Amino acid sequence: MVLFWVLVVLVFFGLVIYGLQIVAVRLALSPARNREGHPILSQSCPPISVIKPLKGLEDNLFGNLESFCLQDYPEYEVIFSLQDENDPAYKVVRKVKEKFPNKPISIVIERCHHGFNPKVNNLFSAYRLSRYPMILISDSNVMVDPHYLRTIAKPMDDPEVGLVCNLIKGIGGKTIGSIFENLHLNSFILGNICFLDKYLKIPCVVGKSMLMRKRDLEAVGGLASVKDVLAEDHFIGEKIRGQNQRVVISNYLINNVNEYWNLRKFINRHVRWGKMRWKIGGVKYLLELTINPVFTACLPLLLFGLTEKTIFVLTLVCVIKIIGDFYLGRCISTPTHPSVYLLSPIKDLLMGVLWFVPLADDTVVWRGNRYLMGKDTRLSLCSERGAEWKTRILEGIKAKIAW
Amino acid sequence: MLLCDFHIHTKYSDGSVGLRRTVDLFGQAGFDVIAITDHVVNGDNPFGKLANRFKFSVTGESFETYMSDIAEEAERAWDRYGLLIIPGVEITKNSFSSDKSAHLLLIDIKEFIPASWDYEKIFLEAKKQDALIVACHPHRTSDKTFVDTLFLWNNRDKYARYIDAWEIANRDDVFNVISLKKYPYIAGSDFHKVRHLYSWKSLLNCKKDMESIKQCIRSNWGVAITLFRN
Repeated sequence: MVLFWVLVVLVFFGLVIYGLQIVAVRLALSPARNREGHPILSQSCPPISVIKPLKGLEDNLFGNLESFCLQDYPEYEVIFSLQDENDPAYKVVRKVKEKFPNKPISIVIERCHHGFNPKVNNLFSAYRLSRYPMILISDSNVMVDPHYLRTIAKPMDDPEVGLVCNLIKGIGGKTIGSIFENLHLNSFILGNICFLDKYLKIPCVVGKSMLMRKRDLEAVGGLASVKDVLAEDHFIGEKIRGQNQRVVISNYLINNVNEYWNLRKFINRHVRWGKMRWKIGGVKYLLELTINPVFTACLPLLLFGLTEKTIFVLTLVCVIKIIGDFYLGRCISTPTHPSVYLLSPIKDLLMGVLWFVPLADDTVVWRGNRYLMGKDTRLSLCSERGAEWKTRILEGIKAKIAW
Repeated sequence: MLLCDFHIHTKYSDGSVGLRRTVDLFGQAGFDVIAITDHVVNGDNPFGKLANRFKFSVTGESFETYMSDIAEEAERAWDRYGLLIIPGVEITKNSFSSDKSAHLLLIDIKEFIPASWDYEKIFLEAKKQDALIVACHPHRTSDKTFVDTLFLWNNRDKYARYIDAWEIANRDDVFNVISLKKYPYIAGSDFHKVRHLYSWKSLLNCKKDMESIKQCIRSNWGVAITLFRN
């Protein structure tokens, strides 16, 4: 009985944190406006080199890349970077370039093996080619509106700001994997980023959009300093903060288009992200399970069976979560159908189960490559011996459930 | 080289993806040319009657709407993606027996051709309309749920002269008999679901216009196939 009430307290704690996350999101999204009530945009508009590393086809790739060629900004260039001219993304980016012949668009193809992080490898040649003192590293699954550059350049008017990144909004879900992905981005990820930034003053850098000065990046070792870590975005942010410069999370929400993911892709990504948080956060990662109230509300059901109390607790938490996620969705204006939010508790339960995986497995598979991840997400080649017993167990489980 | 898929179904027949979304899917992935080839099913047997009953077929009545919707999408796709869309149909003559079943694509069709006509009449009408005639999945496939369509292969001596190209690869299957016989060939996905985007495709070394494409396929010079993967 005592255990039941302990679990209820844990559930209550999770709900309180969830509530604070919602408040934090509302605070984060309060737009900065001038006296006339218009959003404040950058006055100086420094020239920007937009670097977009590409690998493979993302959902809505053409539309995503096209949106960067439609920026209402006086001076900028877009450099698309690939490792292989046989990459299917090359055809798409050539079409984008042909569609905008008057825009300063470059495509660079160079195979680079400087480090283990394939995204950082893909950035080196584009960085070398970039003309302007300010660079924006932007992922290929991001779609923006024409005011994007003006909005995120604004904080850089302050010389004390070293890096600007963005809040993310998942859109476009047409399959169960992409629906889960967007639900997760729009609640857990968004909520935690805002919570950490607003209450704990810990800006969480997400690499989908990072604007910084070249001289600041070079002062902390440049791209070479993060070539072997998986969480290059986090460590670039940490290094810049270490130079007594501020990292600002812009309230401009960038669209992360996820349309046709299958469940496997969703699971792979969040297991990988969980492993990164475990390697970076250590003990703090253990707290994550407590802020998943749906999962913790299932524990009384598991331990004490179907009783009035356990069903009541779980139902109440699920209802609160569905309503809360729906409200968050409305705050960030996602076009998600209300009925989709009924899947939120199922998604949270799945995330609760996946939470355990990083504790048992150090390997990551990313962009077709398998690595061992060490402290601070440092990557190394996955030796078959080191990973063997864990891989065999996982492969055995996968075979049993016919993965 | 133009990246092409000449065998695509939408919700106009038994595809699971609507026309607009299909066009966007291929456009976003960088394709140069696609043909929309929804089924026209013969209504003179139980298969055909069922297909028509459940709207898994383009019919004489719906053909005009089908063509005008494709034309509208073709304009949008050309402006947005530089993607050329060609209207077509898949004449679907189904039977309980594989030996009596045949599917054929008529690409760049202008007027409705019923699937209940005999083969010779279909071929002559398609030639009159200057449509490309492609024999689809002409040999045994790996899909055990699918009734193979062997009629055209089994009667190739009679009908090969009408057929502009044979599908040497369809979705995940490769039909080596086509290369052994040195027949002109293309490949297509037989697209019904989003995942079929990643399958066998055709590559054409020609200009991106209707006549150049048809000429390229007919002459079969500058035609290659590729297994399109992400």
